[in-house]
Amino acid sequence: MFRVLAASLPYLLQGAVMTLWLSAAAVGIGTLLGIAVGVIGTTVSRIARTIVTGYIFVLRGIPVVVVMFLGYYAFPALGLRVNAYVAVGLAQIVYVSAFVAEITRSAIGSVPANQIAAARSLGMRRPAILMQVILPQATRIAIPPLLNNALTAIKQTSYASVVGVWELTYAAREVVERTLAAFQIFLGVMVIYFLICYPLSLAAKWSEARLSFSQ
Amino acid sequence: MMPHALSTPMIEVRDLRKSYGPLEVLKGVSFSVERGEVVVALGPSGSGKSTMLRCINHLEEYQHGEIRIEGTSAGYTTGASGRKPHSEAVNARLREQVGLVFQSFNLFPHRTAVENVMMGLIHVRGMPRRVARQMALARLDKVGLVEKADEYPAKLSGGQQQRVAIARALAMQPKVMLFDEVTSALDPELVGEVLRVIRQLAGEGMTMIIVTHEIHFARDVADRILFMDGGVIVEQGAPQQILSTPVANRLRLFLRRYQGDYMGS
Repeated sequence: MFRVLAASLPYLLQGAVMTLWLSAAAVGIGTLLGIAVGVIGTTVSRIARTIVTGYIFVLRGIPVVVVMFLGYYAFPALGLRVNAYVAVGLAQIVYVSAFVAEITRSAIGSVPANQIAAARSLGMRRPAILMQVILPQATRIAIPPLLNNALTAIKQTSYASVVGVWELTYAAREVVERTLAAFQIFLGVMVIYFLICYPLSLAAKWSEARLSFSQ
Repeated sequence: MMPHALSTPMIEVRDLRKSYGPLEVLKGVSFSVERGEVVVALGPSGSGKSTMLRCINHLEEYQHGEIRIEGTSAGYTTGASGRKPHSEAVNARLREQVGLVFQSFNLFPHRTAVENVMMGLIHVRGMPRRVARQMALARLDKVGLVEKADEYPAKLSGGQQQRVAIARALAMQPKVMLFDEVTSALDPELVGEVLRVIRQLAGEGMTMIIVTHEIHFARDVADRILFMDGGVIVEQGAPQQILSTPVANRLRLFLRRYQGDYMGS
């Protein structure tokens, strides 16, 4: 019954490797960038906060596929020739970073005010309070939503196929057009996506249980 | 007991006023604390006692008046051109000298007991870790918790957490200790262990301002009691005088409400 799927599996797995690359870039760089944006937006100045709030506000209201199209067409509009993978990768990095910035901002904001009062009462200066008190506690608060966000970002790479980037979903559509075995191919694709996400899903579940301070 | 009657007071508060928007919570508070003196502030909730403490180490800003710590103006410089707030660095240097213990302990939950006590030593005083740890262990020993040094706060009882918080403040070798209702969040059976530590500090001559509802304890430990209500000091004096022969009506009412506590001595 799954003969077509078995025959196409190597091709699909090549697509999956591309999906992994896109995911790694979006999640890895997007998360680091987003954390930096979030920390700067909460700690540097009011102007920085306003800019970051606007950045988050705008990107949150746009579907990722639209951001990808914009990324794809932005470079030609500027007279630049950029590889579709790079354009879509950059678009997704920016998109992910906005969500990570919001998670970071809210995690920093949820460190209780009396923790900061305690640090100040010891005579600690702002950089030490940030590094020793706020960020370590905010990190624990942020890890579960960051993992969830990473899962979303991995699945969002499938939209890249709409813009013409070849990855798992694109490869699946090619196979389906050739073989017409849509059901079994997408069943197989589902399992591959699930397996890519599974370790992170486990980590998210584990972190929610382990990272709270009250045991 | 005032060994240096002619020297500058340790703390001098003059006409302190503070409002949150239109609500004035301190309406002109003046008092001073001599070196080695233990002053207890009593009063109903909302009388401004805690706010006053937080103004002294400048966790709270205030709009009017002056606070001096050993003669040094805290929080603001008042000059010919008016009142200028101190920089955050100047305020931080002040806070190093004024230990504050909170009602809700406020230990750092991501650090063990000993790391909590080491925090100021390393990140304010710049001490090497190993030296800081030795010093922190000595402080924990003083509050009877050296065997809990490597436990996280979540594993400690409320009374133990509060003793760690006291050790953390003491580690900075403050000139003054401020206690903000430090037993109010504790189960009754854990109050004693915390009061014992404070009593011991009083015996060692630490200058302290203690905000509390424990009237019995206040009489034992205080050199002087301030009774606050409605943002002012209504009456102050020696414990015997305040608690046995109160003059102000508000103070008498307050004491009657806590009478069970007080008479039970």
